[in-house]
Amino acid sequence: MGDYVWFHDVSWHASYAIYFFVIGICSGLAFLSYGSWITPALRPLREKAAYLSFALLAVGGVLLIADLSQPMRFLNVLNPAYLNFTSPLAWGSLNIVAFGIASVLYLMALKKGDETPRTKLIATVTALLALGLPVYTGYDLTVHQSRPIWNTPVMPVLFVALAIASGSAVGSLVAGGNEAARKVLHQYLLWSTAAVGVILVSILGTTNYGGAASELTFVILTTGTMGLIFVGIGILAGTAAPVALLLAPVGHKQSGLMLSALLVLVGSAALRYALLMGPQQLQTLY
Amino acid sequence: MSEEQRVSSIETRGVAGKKRYAMVVDTRRCIGCMACQVACKAEYDTPLGVNRTWVPYKVVGKYPTVKKQFLPRLCNHCDDPPCVRNCPVDATYKVEDGGFVLQRYERCIGCRSCMAACPYNARFMLPAHRTYSSITRVVDKCTFCFHRVTQNMVPACVQTCVGRSRVFGDINDPNSEVSYLVARNPTQVLRPEEGTKPQVYYIGADRNATEFGRDAYHKPDVMELDRSAFKRNFKI
Ligand code: SF4
Ligand code: SF4
Repeated sequence: MGDYVWFHDVSWHASYAIYFFVIGICSGLAFLSYGSWITPALRPLREKAAYLSFALLAVGGVLLIADLSQPMRFLNVLNPAYLNFTSPLAWGSLNIVAFGIASVLYLMALKKGDETPRTKLIATVTALLALGLPVYTGYDLTVHQSRPIWNTPVMPVLFVALAIASGSAVGSLVAGGNEAARKVLHQYLLWSTAAVGVILVSILGTTNYGGAASELTFVILTTGTMGLIFVGIGILAGTAAPVALLLAPVGHKQSGLMLSALLVLVGSAALRYALLMGPQQLQTLY
Repeated sequence: MSEEQRVSSIETRGVAGKKRYAMVVDTRRCIGCMACQVACKAEYDTPLGVNRTWVPYKVVGKYPTVKKQFLPRLCNHCDDPPCVRNCPVDATYKVEDGGFVLQRYERCIGCRSCMAACPYNARFMLPAHRTYSSITRVVDKCTFCFHRVTQNMVPACVQTCVGRSRVFGDINDPNSEVSYLVARNPTQVLRPEEGTKPQVYYIGADRNATEFGRDAYHKPDVMELDRSAFKRNFKI
């Protein structure tokens, strides 16, 4: 031995993964609330999902600001003189603010009990802005060309699928005994979780057959504690198990759906953590 | 010549009328005295636990056929720097004439995007406490000694290098020492595949030091002890 390797810290810590988790559910719930305008079965969820989504946006915003080393300067990201549009974070902050404004307008319209085309239009805009949240968080990772796993074009797609899955999971818990809503949520949860699984398999495949950095990142993500979190909790317990459960007859019952929802929530939290932290490990030793 | 192929408008290597500072590190001349690291620390009051420049080494081979391979490291002041394009508030920017990649400390929000974007670990977060400077809790990095170079001096590490391993100058000037060294010697840059166009050129760098170690994920226990001890006492 005797090597002197200077160690470096990871750039983004676990708190950022919690933000990913919260903002993913926030946008998933916004989709559900909007979905109630197209799928009548989801109508009972409309207000609940919208309020919950807004509350989570507030939590996510606080988490994001608290994660900055200069939290009092967070307004710099909204200063037109400073904004740098080659940074996904700049787009992300504009997206979050626009989503916040749209959510407030939507909630006000819901409070008035408006079931007009105008409210539906606001719901559509809110949902589109909600779509931007997982897209920008995924893109925030994609742009780092030197990081295996992150630097894949499917990362924003994966984050959208994770958002739908975790939003539908919370929706399933909120829907309780409502049979019609449960049927729709069952489909949402099944297909979005299955999509997460398919994307993960393709990411892992290309990473394992990649260059030196990719191969080493694959090893980091699939062995040791990180392997337990990523493969054990994220893929097996949090993706494969709920898909199997949802396909089985028990998955159509309330208890089966709720159990799947809980597994998806735990799994998607683990996946976000591992996807954020795993690919940063190798470079700390470069 | 690859350096004349500019893919981004930000690149200034080979652009007539513009300076493009670069460093050549001749690893054959490096004796691992770490004087550069110390000079840099002194120049900038760089706090404990973080470095603008550092000199890692690897012991290569098996006794008695062994050699210590040094690889002095610093920000590469990339010609196409991913850190700059990732900063949401333009707090990190490239000086067009000279190519320095610098920080606007008063603007940095501490989002660490630039740290994530840099393939070379050249950036770090300044801890909350420093001895002489009040600039804390923002990202910092090597500045190629902008304040010295613009006063016609060389960077502190170059000035102090006893082996004369580090050489600094304008690579756009065909008569500079760095141009001569880069033209006449086989050189390499770190991780060229990342497209960053680094402007620190190495002569005689060993692949054991420039590549990811194959056992990188088996971190030596001693390092983990150091790392956790450091983190306990390092408040950001
Ligand atoms: S080495 Fe890193 S910090 Fe320096 S210019 Fe290149 S990308 Fe930016
Ligand atoms: S940490 Fe500072 S310099 Fe780095 S990207 Fe964020 S705002 Fe820019």
